[in-house]
Amino acid sequence: MWVKPWNMKEGFLVGGGLLFTGILLQVAIGPIRWELFAWPVNLIVLVLLLAAIGIMFLLRRKVYAFEWLMHAGAAVPCLVYAATLTILMGLLPQVRTGGMPWLSQMLRFWPFVLIWTWMMVISALAALNHIFRWKVKEIPFILNHMGVVVAIVAATLGNADIRSLQMTVFTDEPEWRAVDDAGTIHEPGLAIELHRFTMEEYADGTPKRFASDISVYTIDGKTVQGTVEVNKPLKVNGWKIYQYGYDVRMGPKSTYSVFQLVRDPWIFWVYLGIFMMIAGALCLMLFMAPKPVRV
Amino acid sequence: MSWDSFIWFALGAVLLWAAGAFFAWKEKKVWVYVCTLAGIAVFFAFILGMWISLERPPLRTMGETRLWYSFFLPVAGIIVYSRWRYKWILSFSTLLSFVFICVNLFKPGIHSKSLMPALQSPWFAPHVIVYMFSYALLGAATIMAVYLLIRKRASDSEINLTDNLVYVGLAFLTFGMLFGALWAKEAWGTYWAWDPKETWAAATWLCYLVYIHLRKAKPGEWQTACVILLVSFVCLQICWWGINYLPSAQGLSIHTYNLK
Repeated sequence: MWVKPWNMKEGFLVGGGLLFTGILLQVAIGPIRWELFAWPVNLIVLVLLLAAIGIMFLLRRKVYAFEWLMHAGAAVPCLVYAATLTILMGLLPQVRTGGMPWLSQMLRFWPFVLIWTWMMVISALAALNHIFRWKVKEIPFILNHMGVVVAIVAATLGNADIRSLQMTVFTDEPEWRAVDDAGTIHEPGLAIELHRFTMEEYADGTPKRFASDISVYTIDGKTVQGTVEVNKPLKVNGWKIYQYGYDVRMGPKSTYSVFQLVRDPWIFWVYLGIFMMIAGALCLMLFMAPKPVRV
Repeated sequence: MSWDSFIWFALGAVLLWAAGAFFAWKEKKVWVYVCTLAGIAVFFAFILGMWISLERPPLRTMGETRLWYSFFLPVAGIIVYSRWRYKWILSFSTLLSFVFICVNLFKPGIHSKSLMPALQSPWFAPHVIVYMFSYALLGAATIMAVYLLIRKRASDSEINLTDNLVYVGLAFLTFGMLFGALWAKEAWGTYWAWDPKETWAAATWLCYLVYIHLRKAKPGEWQTACVILLVSFVCLQICWWGINYLPSAQGLSIHTYNLK
């Protein structure tokens, strides 16, 4: 142990240390409050994270631990911890509040978040390492490792900036107020007028299709007309308007339609990461595994 | 086309696949391809018929996903055969496909035409088909792992085949997961909600990543790697149908259309 070259054992110890640190944090300051990461805190955290990764990368020749982090041997224990905690999350019922503390709110559990952060650091360092010894054949590796970092970091840090509101709109009565999960009323800066709600049913009465013909008036004076239905949201001024519900007792005769308004300023980065991962997976499929080396 | 005629198409396809498997042992390459591909065509004709008569892709119920699984096993089998010429692979894929066909014959699931609005999306077919193909490849990788563990030795080419099955299987697993995320954003406004099915998809994905990185870090420890493949496959099964029985997922998952 701790004899160079380090391999997996050292990684299991580092992971154990992170778990322990996480538990201490959990005891000391309680579960992570993601809502505190709203802009501009998430930007500051992002800059610090990127700076840390950059410094680790620059010091890789001086500090052996940083160099070791870039190898598969460091990735295995990290992935084992991450997989184990994720399996636990799948086995234990997850609740928003209360429940069994710690493990039943896994997303707010410090050890879980530290292990995933460790995974992002490792993956980013490995990607940088391959970027800086540039060759065309490194592209799949870079896409896979950078893609996962971009997608997960953007999704996690951007989460607190997502606005998700519900707006109930009666036919021919323009509405500009919407409520969030907590029931607080907001004015998202656009009004929706419902012209017509339509619904088709199957023979057994289950809904086949429901849609709303609407006009959207924005605070900056634009008017957008369109039809919103499930799987076909409408995009207006950075908001995506989703068909969410209707008066289920009245079915096709519903006099109102419920919309969900979602705004996610980080979505571009999440999509970028996802497309990098798709491209990376495409490469995996086409070029497959390199020939194994027996040791 | 309905499930009533399934037995005839299934019988025809399985007999053709069995003939293909037989010719693989006899090393009659042309007949291997002719029989296996003919069987695939017969089976696909049934899927296509179902698709037309249901007026929607047959992807909604468990029985319908098993249909695709039975279809993709021989497809994966013939691809592996054409690349590595394993004589046994087609026997295996035929047998496994036969098992799933039998499950469908005895427990076909529901026959409803209705497809709820959330599932009416261009993402629906690619999301599920890609997953089923991935499950078939990773199933083949699992059988390789069991075979190597029982035999207690592995040649380079056998390990290389296992690696490749996992690489391609994981690539398709990644497609399935990410197509799901893109679809979820269009349908619900969130690309990832840690729904129980999503949590298990993430766990499964991480387990296969453990395999790939372990193979790189310690190429000599193929036995540990094979054990990880078994664990990964258990996660995959929990993700596919096991969560329907998991207490933690009851009433919480939005992926439970097939339970109705």
